[in-house]
Amino acid sequence: MAAPTTARGTRLPPEQIGYLVAGPGRAAETALARLLDADLVRVSRDGLVSAVHQTELGVSTAVETFILVNLRRAVRFDAVVRNAAKSAEMRTLHQQLRARRLTRDPRPRLAAWWVFLAFGVLLSLLAFLEPWTLFGAVAFLGVAYWTFGAKPLTRAGRAALKDVTASDRVLTVALEGFRGRIGNQSVGELFGLPQSVVKMLPRKKRKARNGGAASAAGCGSGCGSSSCGSSSSCSSGSSSCSGGGSSCGGGGGGGD
Amino acid sequence: MAGIKDLGVGIGWRSEIDLTVERLPGVDFVEVVAENLHIGHLPESVTLLLERGVPVLPHAVSLSLGSADQVDLHRVEHLGAVAEAVGAPMVSDHVCFVRAGGLDSGHLMPVPRTRDALDVLVANVKLAQRNLPVPLALENVAALLEWPDGELSEGQFLAELVERTDCWLLVDVANLYANARNIGTDPERFLDEIPLERLAYVHVAGGEQNGDIYHDTHAHAVLPEVLEVLDELCSRVAPPGVLLERDDNYPSDTEIAGELAAIRAVVNKHRG
Repeated sequence: MAAPTTARGTRLPPEQIGYLVAGPGRAAETALARLLDADLVRVSRDGLVSAVHQTELGVSTAVETFILVNLRRAVRFDAVVRNAAKSAEMRTLHQQLRARRLTRDPRPRLAAWWVFLAFGVLLSLLAFLEPWTLFGAVAFLGVAYWTFGAKPLTRAGRAALKDVTASDRVLTVALEGFRGRIGNQSVGELFGLPQSVVKMLPRKKRKARNGGAASAAGCGSGCGSSSCGSSSSCSSGSSSCSGGGSSCGGGGGGGD
Repeated sequence: MAGIKDLGVGIGWRSEIDLTVERLPGVDFVEVVAENLHIGHLPESVTLLLERGVPVLPHAVSLSLGSADQVDLHRVEHLGAVAEAVGAPMVSDHVCFVRAGGLDSGHLMPVPRTRDALDVLVANVKLAQRNLPVPLALENVAALLEWPDGELSEGQFLAELVERTDCWLLVDVANLYANARNIGTDPERFLDEIPLERLAYVHVAGGEQNGDIYHDTHAHAVLPEVLEVLDELCSRVAPPGVLLERDDNYPSDTEIAGELAAIRAVVNKHRG
């Protein structure tokens, strides 16, 4: 699997990319995808996930370990993701990302932010007639900006996603989720998962991105396995898929 | 083999590994546990395999043909209905009893190898056959004990069963190996005594030694010694089919594929 790098050249594992792209749910999906890719777990047609071996051999992250030790008995696909997203291990992952200043706790937009915005605009217009209202305009626009809420990703977080491409199927899950699509192909199909299983997961609405340039383009059917090769051979720049970005709820977002 | 078409190498279909079974290359046929299937609501995976032309053979575990009580015709009827639903050329169960006096053992218990017990078994098998739409094959079980006062060896017992009922045999070489380890059955003598021309197919499974006892767990890798018994069988007859049984602790797709390849290698070795 290609190891993506941040703008600073530090290696960012797929699980962390998943977190930055769409929050703990996506990170949990990515961890599960890695376990599937490594043949450490299997999924049945009725959506039950079970451990292939009752050992932690081959596990590479704490979240993966959490998933595997909780698969002593078969667990529903969506429950695996949900439980991992809410785990202490996932909170630790979030703290690690915060410590690296890649993400922050998101500040929600206030419902009344547009009231401040409207007042700010109104006062700005009035400033043409009464220049002293400019102070009020600045104040109201400032409050509107503050109450708009902060995005969970920092500039460094967005930069870390900038050049990430879906160079293998695990990264494709990190960027798009199991329910995502690469061209005409469902991401779940890359793992041989039936739609009935993939649809157990809630669909997360993709919002317009403003920053990171993580891309799912170019993977297509060529990413049927992690042997896809280097990222250069699989990425072809941006596409209409426009892999997840900073606005998808990284950091404090809900489970995917 | 007259009556039984060449099945090839197969695997026991289980819902936990349904996608694996669908994906594995070289699965020529599958076996389903009849009691786990509901008529009119076949698992999607089984339907898919049928659409691909993969033969699906129902395998029963609850007829209790060795019981002193008459065989439960509702269970026979269900087995027959499953066979018709999947278009199976035959069905199977075990030479054993699983209930007596209204109690269920939850285990495949060996029948006493006496002529009286054989009479009971033959009567139940004939009744089942009359109520089944396809031929019935019967499997030798793994036993941890031998009932006292046995009059026949296991091979003789099965041979007489075949002679009197015209049933087919499903030889489980893992059970044969387990019996060799646990109760001293001689696999070669067993194979000498059974009518190999009535061999329907063969089961192979894994197990583990636990102290003095070998457990036929179906949850561990197939031992080389079990494949040696298969090899011995294949040196005498070309089995119409050989099926890998795995019921728990499912290994990776790669490992399962490896076990199927090992089985196929033994079979092909004797086919030249």
